[in-house]
Amino acid sequence: MDRFVVSCSHSKTYHLGRRHALWLSTVLICFSLTAPAQKITQRGDTSAPFSTRATHLLGFANARNDSTGTLSVQDDSLQFQQNGKPGARVKIALVRNVFLGAESKQVGGLPMTLGKTAAPFGGGRVVSLFAHKNYDTLTLEYVDADGGIHGAIFQLTKGQGELVKNELIAQGATISSRQDQSTKESATEAKHENK
Amino acid sequence: MKTSRYNLSIACGIALVAIMLALPSRLPGQTAAAKSPGSNGASPTRWSVQIDQVDPGNLDLTYSFQIAIYENLVDELNKTKQFQQVFRDGDVRAGEFPNLLVLKTTVEKYTPGSETRRAVTTVSGATKLTVRSRLLTREGKVVFERIVDGDVRFFGSNLRATHNLAHNIAKTIKQSSWSGSGQPTAILTGQL
Repeated sequence: MDRFVVSCSHSKTYHLGRRHALWLSTVLICFSLTAPAQKITQRGDTSAPFSTRATHLLGFANARNDSTGTLSVQDDSLQFQQNGKPGARVKIALVRNVFLGAESKQVGGLPMTLGKTAAPFGGGRVVSLFAHKNYDTLTLEYVDADGGIHGAIFQLTKGQGELVKNELIAQGATISSRQDQSTKESATEAKHENK
Repeated sequence: MKTSRYNLSIACGIALVAIMLALPSRLPGQTAAAKSPGSNGASPTRWSVQIDQVDPGNLDLTYSFQIAIYENLVDELNKTKQFQQVFRDGDVRAGEFPNLLVLKTTVEKYTPGSETRRAVTTVSGATKLTVRSRLLTREGKVVFERIVDGDVRFFGSNLRATHNLAHNIAKTIKQSSWSGSGQPTAILTGQL
């Protein structure tokens, strides 16, 4: 009696497992079929303006230094907009150079720095050892209506700098021959930061 | 005897009051006399300055640093109000100004630092910059030349060194005997 019950339950489990496996494989196949379609949709949607979060360090039009906002490429302009404030714009045609760099910075700003300083037994130093993050720096060189040269520096999440640079080039920004040194620059900066 | 002493004390008192009243009126007179040789009665010539882009020399100075020094120099020199106008490199309006000086900045030394190292060790990881700053006339005559340092040692990002450097350059120009309102006479060399 006992043996029958056991065998019956085993066969049920087996059937359930097979059903589940079938169902799972069907779902996986469906996902794998839809994934490329989604990718194509994202790539094909070129009308949407490119935008990313960035920190403006200095120099861009009338934007405030050390302010966080959205950096976007719209129509023929590069725009930086802080939350709820009118954006600062520069025409992409006026951009003469774009340089990429890398930088490692301590996170948390002033409150974190004060906290680390106040921590007893040098605990703040240990925190500092791990509380840093790598960023991309995007340096722009552009001219104003009178021909005066301006420079602007943005800090972006790692990997975003390359995207902005590519977008600017795609929109017609002229990059000088000095551009090929940007990779070297990034490598040098990162090396010094990691020391 | 008593009356003469009384008269003497009154005379001394009057003399003291007279001296005290005369002294403050003489001091402004002295200041005015000291000011007059510089001005010579004529309206002073106000100079404008054009800031050239930073020359990295032979050093591997990153572009972000070059741009940051340049931008901070424009800001700091505007703040000093030492010059009639502060022009950027390439500005076509600068050509219209007869009294124009050109500020050239050449990087002589650069020590890259690390914010994390500064935060962990306190004593190491400083970012240091040393530049040669020169003010030249249109004819190429050097009227001011100094070697100026800028660094960040404890708190702040590496780019803060560029802000400190630009601040020091502006301060040096302001404090030097060269003033934006006078004639460029002597070459000033030295190190801050």
